[in-house]
Amino acid sequence: MTAPLKVLIVEDEALLAMELESLVEEAGHSVVGWATSASEAKTMADSVEADIAFVDIHLSDGPSGVDVAEYIGRKNSSMVVFMTANPKRIPDHFAGAVGVIAKPYTMNGLMSSLRYLQECIRRPPPVSTRPAGFTLSPLFEETLVSAA
Amino acid sequence: MDWKGSKESADAWHMTDNLHAEQGKGDPFAAAIRATRMSMIITDPRQPDNPIVFANDAFLKLIGYERDEVMGRNCRFLQGPNTDPSSVDRIRVAVEDGTDVSIDILNYRKDGSTFWNALYISPVFNDKGELQFFFASQLNVSDRKRSADRIAADKDRFEKAVKERTAELEAALEAKTTLLHEVDHRVKNNLQMISSLIIMQRRTIKDEAIRASLTTMLERIEALSTVHRRLYQSKDVSRFDVADFAKDLVTDLLAASGRAEIEPALELEPIIIPAEKATPVALMVNELVTNALKHAFKGRPDGTTGGRIGIKMNQPDSHFNIEVSDNGVGMDSATGDASFGMRLIKSLARQLHADIEWRDAAPGTRVVISMPNETRQKGSFS
Ligand SMILES: Nc1ncnc2c1ncn2[C@@H]1O[C@H](COP(=O)(O)OP(=O)(O)O)[C@@H](O)[C@H]1O
Ligand SMILES: [Mg+2]
Repeated sequence: MTAPLKVLIVEDEALLAMELESLVEEAGHSVVGWATSASEAKTMADSVEADIAFVDIHLSDGPSGVDVAEYIGRKNSSMVVFMTANPKRIPDHFAGAVGVIAKPYTMNGLMSSLRYLQECIRRPPPVSTRPAGFTLSPLFEETLVSAA
Repeated sequence: MDWKGSKESADAWHMTDNLHAEQGKGDPFAAAIRATRMSMIITDPRQPDNPIVFANDAFLKLIGYERDEVMGRNCRFLQGPNTDPSSVDRIRVAVEDGTDVSIDILNYRKDGSTFWNALYISPVFNDKGELQFFFASQLNVSDRKRSADRIAADKDRFEKAVKERTAELEAALEAKTTLLHEVDHRVKNNLQMISSLIIMQRRTIKDEAIRASLTTMLERIEALSTVHRRLYQSKDVSRFDVADFAKDLVTDLLAASGRAEIEPALELEPIIIPAEKATPVALMVNELVTNALKHAFKGRPDGTTGGRIGIKMNQPDSHFNIEVSDNGVGMDSATGDASFGMRLIKSLARQLHADIEWRDAAPGTRVVISMPNETRQKGSFS
């Protein structure tokens, strides 16, 4: 078995964060933190170690998810995956994020994305096919192609 | 007789005005100039300050002065405070250079009223090429000028109105787009929340039948979610590609079922339908695929649970066809008329004006749906 992932959730909607946490844990991974705003997310990114940060674009302090992605990207500590109902808000360069899971995702869509991401992180390139609701950033797609 | 080429010295003109009627009368050309309705004057650049040496009656009538008030004066007394200095400059330069000039200039009458003067000035040279006179004609073009001004003003006003209206419409469009994005964002978030609520509820339930029922409900909500995700991913939110949707749906349902022994077989032509049909079509396809997954591959005598679920989509004419098939156990044609799934499928088919038929595929079941597609007839895929 590949090692489970440590996940940071940046999501202002409690219900969605709660459910995401359950699904992440059901899949055998662990949630190391939950932030509802950009400032909380940045503080958390400084204090905990995570393999993946799931970042919503709309947070309690505004459309600041892109900021969070850039901040985490600069630290180069975790892979950022946007998780948003507003994928059009994501800049073309993806602000350093590896991809986006478009909301509303299906339960299976999320589970498959987790599996796919685990493969990307633990032993790239991934062997499973990329799930329907999951889009890769152009840069990360290139990285995967050259790793193959 | 050509007055310009006349043997008589051009000074004759100088005399003409001082001449008494008799002599003028003897010269038909001079008489014509005197009597014409066209205002005309002659000035003498050889005298200091280029004074008027001849003026006809039309000129006097146009400007409202008596002859003795204008003779011997430079024409500048016709200018006033609103006369454009650059026009005056152009005339001055032409006179200095001895060239001709044609210009609209604002002039003043004796009573102070103004008129637009379409002025034409041309130099007159003698045989030796020496400048003798300036000949000038004036035409009152105030009416033309006024209507030109009015047209220009109308055009300005119209352009301004169009600009304002365009800005208003652009702002309205932007507001509408923002609102659409906002609503879209909320719809998607709410769908996500509904799914989350069902999943959380399901976790707390021990009873298999209730869990299964919640799962069916989740599948239906997720079919709607997939529609919304796909709908607003595309550039044109009024069109929906059912084929792309079907691919997402089948892949997702099969993966979620964890039944690796069931294989998808997709033959999908892109089919674009209007957005308002997306939800009923999606729900119908979802019901048929989940039914095949749930019912087609169980209860076989040999106990195997593997097989194939096929989806075919094409649009041979103004209709489009969707076929969902399996090579499972087949179904009793009498089954399910009263069950909820079956009633849902049939009602959706009615809503879509679709024909739906369950056929025995021996082995398995083939459900064939055929419905009219207006997008084709309208012919606009833009
Ligand atoms: N593809 C299929 N293969 C075999 N049986 C089927 C198939 N589709 C439907 N059925 C039968 O028709 C019944 C009615 O289906 P439905 O109304 O969707 O109810 P449900 O799926 O809740 O049982 C099912 O219970 C099943 O017995
Ligand atoms: Mg059913």
